[in-house]
Amino acid sequence: MKRKSLLLPVTLISCIIFIALPFGSATEFSFRDGGKTKHSLAAYRWILAQEDFLHYLGVSLRLALGAVLITLIIMVPTVAWLHLKAQRYRPLMEFLTLLPLVVPVVALSIGAQSALPEALQSSEYELSFMYVVLAMPYTYRALDIGMSAIPLKTITEAARGLGASWIKAITYVIAPVIRNAVIGSLFLTLALSLGEFTLTSLLHWDTFPTWVTSVSQQNIIGAIALSVFSLAAAFFLLFAIGLVTMRSKSDAMEGHK
Amino acid sequence: MSSATLEIQGISRRFGDVVALDELDIKIEPGELVALLGPSGCGKTTALRIVAGLESTDSGHVLLRGKDMTEVSANHRNMGMVFQAYSLFPNLNAEENVAFGLQMRKVPKLNRLAKARELLEVVGLNTQAKRFPHQLSGGQQQRVALARALAIEPDVLLLDEPLSALDAQVRANLREEIRRLQLSLGTTTLFVTHDQEEAMSISDRVGVMNNGRLEQIASPDELYNKPASAFVASFVGLMNRLPGVLDSKIVEVLGQRISVADNNLSDGVVKVLIRPERVSVIQDSQDTNATVITRSFLGASSRVICQMRDGTVIQSLVPSAGTGSLNPGDEVKLIIDEHDVLVASV
Ligand SMILES: Nc1ncnc2c1ncn2[C@@H]1O[C@H](COP(=O)(O)OP(=O)(O)OP(=O)(O)O)[C@@H](O)[C@H]1O
Ligand SMILES: [Mg+2]
Repeated sequence: MKRKSLLLPVTLISCIIFIALPFGSATEFSFRDGGKTKHSLAAYRWILAQEDFLHYLGVSLRLALGAVLITLIIMVPTVAWLHLKAQRYRPLMEFLTLLPLVVPVVALSIGAQSALPEALQSSEYELSFMYVVLAMPYTYRALDIGMSAIPLKTITEAARGLGASWIKAITYVIAPVIRNAVIGSLFLTLALSLGEFTLTSLLHWDTFPTWVTSVSQQNIIGAIALSVFSLAAAFFLLFAIGLVTMRSKSDAMEGHK
Repeated sequence: MSSATLEIQGISRRFGDVVALDELDIKIEPGELVALLGPSGCGKTTALRIVAGLESTDSGHVLLRGKDMTEVSANHRNMGMVFQAYSLFPNLNAEENVAFGLQMRKVPKLNRLAKARELLEVVGLNTQAKRFPHQLSGGQQQRVALARALAIEPDVLLLDEPLSALDAQVRANLREEIRRLQLSLGTTTLFVTHDQEEAMSISDRVGVMNNGRLEQIASPDELYNKPASAFVASFVGLMNRLPGVLDSKIVEVLGQRISVADNNLSDGVVKVLIRPERVSVIQDSQDTNATVITRSFLGASSRVICQMRDGTVIQSLVPSAGTGSLNPGDEVKLIIDEHDVLVASV
């Protein structure tokens, strides 16, 4: 027990140093104005002065929300169905969902693009679909683990036996019970979509990450201020989502393994 | 609500090559508790799930009060089901769990919670109403599950090994409680188990299944004393299996000639099945035929294990009074009670 009590603070402190040191240094650097001692908000004023800043932020947010919606409408029901009715296909899914990690992004982008309907190929929203595919190795696992932790099939059958229609079983039992796994997977999709660069630029679309890259070639301190801003925004988002899930998480779910 | 008759007529179900159920027929009278007993994989759960509407059939019918329910979906069957374990809704507390079925039936909140409280009291959990499933012990969870199944005033109560995840003491208490409740409510009940003691102790009738078929369905007494087959005999209680010779309805075993009931075996070498309590141990006999190996004291009775001259081991259950002087190595004479001797092919 003694070792455990020491392990935790050591790990925590190492993590904090690992994350906070580079972030702190970058933050400090982003406030520099000319010399080592003089600090100002110049770099941040420069960001806001870029007329495209809000535009590309908006584009990325829209595409990310699209990806989140697709995950919610297609991924979540699929994984739930696998758990309820098609357990034997889970190993296959496990393998399939790993493919986006194995297939090179170039092959993936061209191949996946030509598989999409014509109308979508010429719309930036094709990226939302691509992001869902790229996030799949993570979202599938988040959902799969979340749903394996509860006897979803049994409690669904119990609900059915007690008179719940499928719709009611989903709203009263399945949805509340898998909610945390779903929120986790949606957050993964959101985070990945907001930061995706390679595939986006291969397909010649412009989003916030590609815009940041091109802009940063003109102003190095401005570029660092931008990444500090993005990181801080991501942290804030994470924190906000964490708060929401924690508050609405009934204690019923806590400790339920 | 008056009790309902439940009929399972010629139900078959295969999963790929596996025949889970093969023309299963059972009729359960109103208010009766029937246990389905059988080895693992014999199709008990499948039968129960088909009755509940959670599994489809390849052929056959499920009738409730004479009405065909085969095509009715699970949520319209009004059957209360208790699963082996972990079936409570983890996001709802005990009373909300119990009230769930009533909520689905649009019973107003106050009424359904009142009813849930009432049922929790019946299963002895009135102080735990606000607890969530993970805050309850396994036995308490199963009580809540039972209360939840009873809350909808089901036409039929279906229990799939509801006690198998619990320890012996809790299991014995809860099974008596299930029986007490079932009798007082008069609910027609199908109880699946692979524990023969459990099945025999609380059922009106026990159906013994093997390979998707019903081998015999009868009262516990009849099943024990007049098993229809060697499979039933050895599945229900302990049986000695001794070599014997059959000759025109007389079997010779342990040097005794015993007449046996009608059977379709041809004369020759057979297997003779005898309950341990039908074998008595005579001490101080002139013509001994066995040697005592061990004697274990079980309370009112003792189990004596002996070895015959030909090496066959035979078990006997005798009243403890009077066998205190038996020691391993003693020469004794074993005598078989001529009632209820069963023969089977080797
Ligand atoms: N969904 C399924 N898919 C494939 N095979 C199945 C399925 N359900 C049951 N089986 C098979 O059908 C047979 C009967 O299974 P069932 O669960 O009814 O047995 P059981 O008598 O309840 O056994 P146990 O005492 O172990 O619970 C088994 O061989 C089992 O492997
Ligand atoms: Mg079973």
